[in-house]
Amino acid sequence: MALARVERLSYAYPEGGAPALSNVSLELRPGEAVALLGPSGSGKSTLLRALAALVPHFHGGRFVGRVEIAGLDTRRARPSDLAGIVATVFQDPEDQVVMTRVANEAAFGLENVGTPPAEIRPRAEEALAAVGALHLAGRRTTDLSGGELQRVCLAGALALRPRLLLLDEPTSQLDPAGADEFLRHVGALGASVVLSEQRVGRALDLCARVLFLEEGRLILDAPRGEALDWLAANRPAYLPGPELDLPEPAARGEVMLRLEAVEFAYEAGLAVLDGVDLEARRGEVVILEGPNGSGKTTAAKLAAGLFQPQRGKVTRRGRAAYLSQDPGRYLICERVIDEAALAVGGDQERARAALDLVGLGWAAERHPRDLSSGERERLGLAAVTVAEPDLLVLDEPTRGIDPERKAELARWLHAYAARGRAVLVATHDRGFPAHRRISFDKEMALAA
Amino acid sequence: MKLGPGPAAALLLAAAATALLADRIAVIGALVGALLFVCLRAPAKRLRPYLFFGLVSSLGVMVFSPFLALEGTNVLWSGPVVPVLGPLDVTVEELAIAAENALRLAAVTLAFTAYALLLDHDQLVAAASFARRSSLAVALATRLVPTLERDAGGLIEAVRGRGLELAGVRGHARLLSPLVAGSLERAFNLAEAMEARGFGRSGRTRAPGAPWSGVDRAALAAAPLLVLGGALWL
Repeated sequence: MALARVERLSYAYPEGGAPALSNVSLELRPGEAVALLGPSGSGKSTLLRALAALVPHFHGGRFVGRVEIAGLDTRRARPSDLAGIVATVFQDPEDQVVMTRVANEAAFGLENVGTPPAEIRPRAEEALAAVGALHLAGRRTTDLSGGELQRVCLAGALALRPRLLLLDEPTSQLDPAGADEFLRHVGALGASVVLSEQRVGRALDLCARVLFLEEGRLILDAPRGEALDWLAANRPAYLPGPELDLPEPAARGEVMLRLEAVEFAYEAGLAVLDGVDLEARRGEVVILEGPNGSGKTTAAKLAAGLFQPQRGKVTRRGRAAYLSQDPGRYLICERVIDEAALAVGGDQERARAALDLVGLGWAAERHPRDLSSGERERLGLAAVTVAEPDLLVLDEPTRGIDPERKAELARWLHAYAARGRAVLVATHDRGFPAHRRISFDKEMALAA
Repeated sequence: MKLGPGPAAALLLAAAATALLADRIAVIGALVGALLFVCLRAPAKRLRPYLFFGLVSSLGVMVFSPFLALEGTNVLWSGPVVPVLGPLDVTVEELAIAAENALRLAAVTLAFTAYALLLDHDQLVAAASFARRSSLAVALATRLVPTLERDAGGLIEAVRGRGLELAGVRGHARLLSPLVAGSLERAFNLAEAMEARGFGRSGRTRAPGAPWSGVDRAALAAAPLLVLGGALWL
């Protein structure tokens, strides 16, 4: 018997516009792991919300069709009624943490669903241990990194021992090792899992079945083998390799950025960077990679001039710009076009060209907060690159971006570098193409 | 022995209420001193914006209220008569009242600072056997201050990353609207996540908390006595 059944579901948010889901039907069997793929804005998050009954109860809107979870019709059962049967881990961990201490955060859902008091602490600790976060139990949630917080959110969901686990890009803030470990825990659960992921390789490793959504329609529902063939024929960017067709690299030119023996600490005695040397030259795309907490972001901020080194020397040539990993920081103006024009003194022509380059020309007159998270990422990129800086520093620019957009971004950055600029990218994304890769380790020394 | 968050919150509330009720400036000053001593246990980086706000608002009361009040006969300075506000003079009595009110405001601000920075809000919520939803709302609202501070820092950094600088009050005021909009969006997302996690469902239970110590009970008993003393004798 199916654990979840979606029948001819169509849904439109109350703000209007095109339907987020159109005539979607599927069944989920107990214990089944399903990868949910599709471009940004294709309706993946909406489908997960429908499976958690948040659509329509929390969001309102026009809901046609039927969703049944463990025999409960979501038109009558509220999300809180389904809690315990269904657990959801949302995209942004900072927007779902309720409690101040990690142990209490893991216990929050258990308390809500009426777990016997004597079982609450042991189950919360067991869930924290399962995701490798038991050592964080006494910490404040506000003091955790994004990656740590994401594990705590998963622990909160696992503690409920749900029959259906809904994961909306849960590894977007984790380094590759952390993401692999996270998904290994998920795989060992035995629950039905629906995993929406933009890092497709990992999702395909875990899941035996693949769903592909596009413009709200379910255009593929197939076992993994069949789905791989379909992706290879129809959406090749979703599969690893072949190599991207990148522009010819320019000859490596003069040094645009040099960090020499740089040291930096946010708190006295807790060095994040200790004696780091690196350089980037004209025409180069350089990747900074390494695990969560290894100092990539700090090095990127030092490179862009947002931080000053406490010891050592940073030299830059020309103008530098920095793209933050949080796209919510590029939502200051009332219109997308104004946001993009901010760095060029309101020059709308240049702003429009920058928006066209990232595929957001159509959204120029919209409010930035009306954009999806992937679209916000692209707006941030346009807002930073509009002034054509000589040194472009990007922090996790592929977070939340679908594989096709990621390939476009890679081509765009390589073309940008080929025009005589230097590009420095801090990322967890192992597959992002570069001329050079610099690895950071947690011991604060540059490994390569 | 460490004081539990419930009794500690009761004592802080009592200290703030006593500062508002007491008449003697020395008593209010002593309360401010005691609360400042408590607040200094918080990390300096987190404490700084709260102290800055407390100092600026208290100084504001101290400096401006004598011009607006009409009290006392011992005139120190006589100014012009301004329409609506009346005569802009300063008397000894007005200065004394302004100092008292500034100290009262400082005491209330410091009590809130200690509540926000030093107490475990989870335990406070857990200790609330009734009105749990309201307690949680207060705890989440308290967390809004450091969240806003972090968001503002992020916005400023992103603007600098575009090669721009926010100059002066007007420049920084530009961040107000995105900060408010961001908070609303965050609140919406949090509410969605809470609903998905069963918040509001009937039959809720809670994890067993640490038992109350003798010091906790004594602190809880002392809180109303402090307020009573402030109202009647101090």
